[in-house]
Amino acid sequence: MFTTKALRQAAQHAERTPSIRFIGKRTIPASIDHSPQPHPASPTHSLPPSFTSASSHTSFSAYRDHAQQFGPLRKTIKADAGVGGAAGSDLGPVAAPKGTFFDRNDLPARFHRQPLTAAEIEAIETGGAALYA
Amino acid sequence: MLSQRILGRSAVKSAFKPSGLPSVVSAGRLRRTYATESEPRDLVIIGGGVAGYVAAIKAGQEGMKVTCIEKRGTLGGTCLNVGCIPSKSLLNNSHLYHQILHDTKHRGIEVSDVKLNLKQLMKAKETSVTGLTKGVEFLFKKNGVEYIKGAGTFQDEHTIKVQLNDGGETSVTGKNILIATGSEVTPFPGLQIDEQTVISSTGAIALEKVPKKLLVIGGGIIGLEMASVWSRLGSEVTVVEFLDQIGGPGMDTEVAKNIQKILKKQGIIFKTGTKVLDGEKSDGAVKINVDSAKGGKPETLGADIVLVAIGRRPYTGGLGLENVGIELDERGRVIIDSEYRTKIPHIRCVGDVTFGPMLAHKAEEEAVAVVEYIKKGYGHVNYGCIPSVMYTSPEVAWVGQSEQELKKAGIKYRVGTFPFSANSRAKTNLDTDGQVKMLADAETDRLLGIHIIGVNAGEMIAEGTLALEYGASSEDIARTCHAHPTLAEAFKEAAMATHGKAIHF
Repeated sequence: MFTTKALRQAAQHAERTPSIRFIGKRTIPASIDHSPQPHPASPTHSLPPSFTSASSHTSFSAYRDHAQQFGPLRKTIKADAGVGGAAGSDLGPVAAPKGTFFDRNDLPARFHRQPLTAAEIEAIETGGAALYA
Repeated sequence: MLSQRILGRSAVKSAFKPSGLPSVVSAGRLRRTYATESEPRDLVIIGGGVAGYVAAIKAGQEGMKVTCIEKRGTLGGTCLNVGCIPSKSLLNNSHLYHQILHDTKHRGIEVSDVKLNLKQLMKAKETSVTGLTKGVEFLFKKNGVEYIKGAGTFQDEHTIKVQLNDGGETSVTGKNILIATGSEVTPFPGLQIDEQTVISSTGAIALEKVPKKLLVIGGGIIGLEMASVWSRLGSEVTVVEFLDQIGGPGMDTEVAKNIQKILKKQGIIFKTGTKVLDGEKSDGAVKINVDSAKGGKPETLGADIVLVAIGRRPYTGGLGLENVGIELDERGRVIIDSEYRTKIPHIRCVGDVTFGPMLAHKAEEEAVAVVEYIKKGYGHVNYGCIPSVMYTSPEVAWVGQSEQELKKAGIKYRVGTFPFSANSRAKTNLDTDGQVKMLADAETDRLLGIHIIGVNAGEMIAEGTLALEYGASSEDIARTCHAHPTLAEAFKEAAMATHGKAIHF
């Protein structure tokens, strides 16, 4: 009986542990670092400075060339020429290209609509009755 | 006037909506949109090749609004239309033809009056291609992918202008844009590809008659597969390779030497360590001047047809990357980070057009990963575990590191090999060329590389890839039961040879 126990113990020690082990259900890491890292197959193992700098644009004007805010903020005046640096005819047609729509609020403040006064709001909400109250 | 002011106020309110993209306001007088009237998409993919179409289907499955733009007119890109798929059809059927001519008599099957019908061979190839490309179109419909046939160009960072194949123009905007434009054949300087006498791989799968003499520039995978097809069909084939070994730089040197011997026995003539200087076409033939790579052994080779198979290069023509300032590296690849982002984070890039090996299955893996990065924030591709297969006869397949790479990296390793000549199934099939070679870490026994020459090596490498991906040791494989009699037993025995000793060799 003692011999059997010893043999069993010896067998347990001899039992092989495979390299491949089931690690359980895959879990999503709680926090993932999304900062740009070089691609694993990149031959240089590095990223150009444009990936790591906070902004790839050299000036605010250059930024506006690429910026998106409810649509591209395209400019019609070239950055290098400056305002008045090019003939009006060179700036192209005044009419918007097909499918492009301008919003009044994208224009300088002087072109914006006047803010509504409290009296006007009141008048609208009461269907005009407030004007006679 | 009052009503106008109210509308003006609501427009200001709409400007502060939290969405990353504008919604199209339905009020006729107040439409704040991009320079297009179509609805913005979650993902716009340029290119309907393996990378593009897989990403499109995956994105559709993830519930994204996705558009795929492809200019070829059929989906599947190079792989399905003029690459992997048609070449495999020709390889398979030319092998059958060659086997019937040269390999059935001693098996006890006598066939007479065997004729090659090249037109039918090509038709069979086209049937395979059409079936698969139509299948992808069906999968697009099934997964709600919008498919635009046309050439896409960046108009700005969110807008792609499309020149439609049927004429006209449209544009599509997307929150995310994926560049998956693939690759094209690298031309040989001074030798104009006309797809008649000087051909690329595209021309090599569509020849109208079997050339008497075929000269292949480049002894990589594409060159050797096409050399095999036309050699089996009756051409005298010469392969000129600049390097001292065939199969490209990724193939294990020992394996490359062995497969070269086997292919030489099949009748293919090799000129390794040889550079092509120039060539000239005259009277429907081509003369190619070559010299040894070191110089001093000039020679002129004549051929009816010259196949240029020196590799492929990223394809970004007409994409308008300059309009958005996306950078390419010195080899024309789109520069990306580890999450496939270009320097403009919502424009990503996968497949042949960026880093990594130009393989369809690598592109497929990346396509799934990139959609997961967009949708879930994480994805996975193990670039150390991408198999390569050369579909010659016998096939050559490998995954992981080669012996020369391990030596260069100074990693101590053990080698185990098992020849198919000692495998029972290979013996019964009378297909005993080749061997399985396994490389494992000398200390930990963890698998580092697997290199196979043999019938169906391309299928067998899947077991090696899985083992490598899981981080298995050679002992793990050696202790796994494999069915008898199978070619896969050679795989197990190679693992046994790496870990200890093989039984049958």
